[in-house]
Amino acid sequence: MTRLALSLGVAGVALSLAIGAVITAPGPVAWAAQVDETALDDQVREIAKTLRCAICQTENIWESQSTLAAQMRQIIRERLQQGESPEQIKAYFLSRYGDYILMKPRVRGWNWLIWAGPFVLLLIGGLLLSRTLSRWTAAPPDAGTADSLTPLNEPSRRRIEDELRSFDK
Amino acid sequence: MSDPVGNPVNTPPNNLMPDNARFQLRGWHLALVAALVALFLLFYKGLWGDPSAIPTVLIGTTAPTFVGPDVVNGSTIDLAQYRGKVVLLNFWASWCQECRIEHENLLALYGQFRSNPDFVMMGVNYQDKLDDARHYLEVYGSPFQHVRDFKGTISIDYGVYGVPETFIIDKQGVIRHKQIGPIVGPTYTLLTDKVLPTLLQGAAAPNAS
Repeated sequence: MTRLALSLGVAGVALSLAIGAVITAPGPVAWAAQVDETALDDQVREIAKTLRCAICQTENIWESQSTLAAQMRQIIRERLQQGESPEQIKAYFLSRYGDYILMKPRVRGWNWLIWAGPFVLLLIGGLLLSRTLSRWTAAPPDAGTADSLTPLNEPSRRRIEDELRSFDK
Repeated sequence: MSDPVGNPVNTPPNNLMPDNARFQLRGWHLALVAALVALFLLFYKGLWGDPSAIPTVLIGTTAPTFVGPDVVNGSTIDLAQYRGKVVLLNFWASWCQECRIEHENLLALYGQFRSNPDFVMMGVNYQDKLDDARHYLEVYGSPFQHVRDFKGTISIDYGVYGVPETFIIDKQGVIRHKQIGPIVGPTYTLLTDKVLPTLLQGAAAPNAS
């Protein structure tokens, strides 16, 4: 009875998940209490999230565990303490590493292509499609009138009538 | 063509498309094909090369100054005191395999240019333990000085994201060359035959103190 086993398994997983949720529920609360989040920490985190870790390039320097990212976070903290604004700090990293350091590239220069490119391509594709479709559906200039059509031949006419009769029944 | 019963179908005359709508090669067709080919080439090019290479923005800008302790004896090294000289800055670490590969070349390069009074060579020890760094220098030799980048501030000032990286600063204090990765083969000869001799021949800035 694989179906019975399966449903038992599902029930078991659901039960253990529920138990796990109950057991671990106080966890995050206790954790949050341990972390002393000051306004400075907040600011460091907000800036660090916008900067790319230069070694592990898919991560931002807030998430990265690398030494370089830790050193960069420390620099952010020190510069904030010296009274620099988040914009000044980001500008500093930008001047050292270029656009690469930003998780979200700036919209300027060739970078415009990244942002506008897909929409431009969509527009071009849409125009081509509508052109082609309108050409396909355009009425041919010498579309036949009722008179000009070839008359129905006898077998076809008989067949249509048969079909209609059987449809009526 | 015939229908299932075998009767000839009233075949539509070939007038569904007006004659003037037949395909004609127009200018914008060519432009579209060219654009697609260009896009394809761009993607194709993206398949090769080092995806982690970060294009440097520092060439042509004033080299950040720094002050730090000497790795070996702890005395203070200040980059500003070498303004007016050509400085080769080499970022390295004892745990870095590629640094070991280029080390022989660094020694040879230093041997070639050390007699020139306008030439300064300096190592920057990157993310390293002091004991490991000292041991490395003892084993592999270090005729030139090395500054310890204690908190990563020097490296980040120079936009370093891995070692080895090498910068060449001209007599005006401007970064003129950056090498990511070890100085071996053509990279070595580029430095010894072109970059360094050219910069060493250059005059110091009149306002260089």
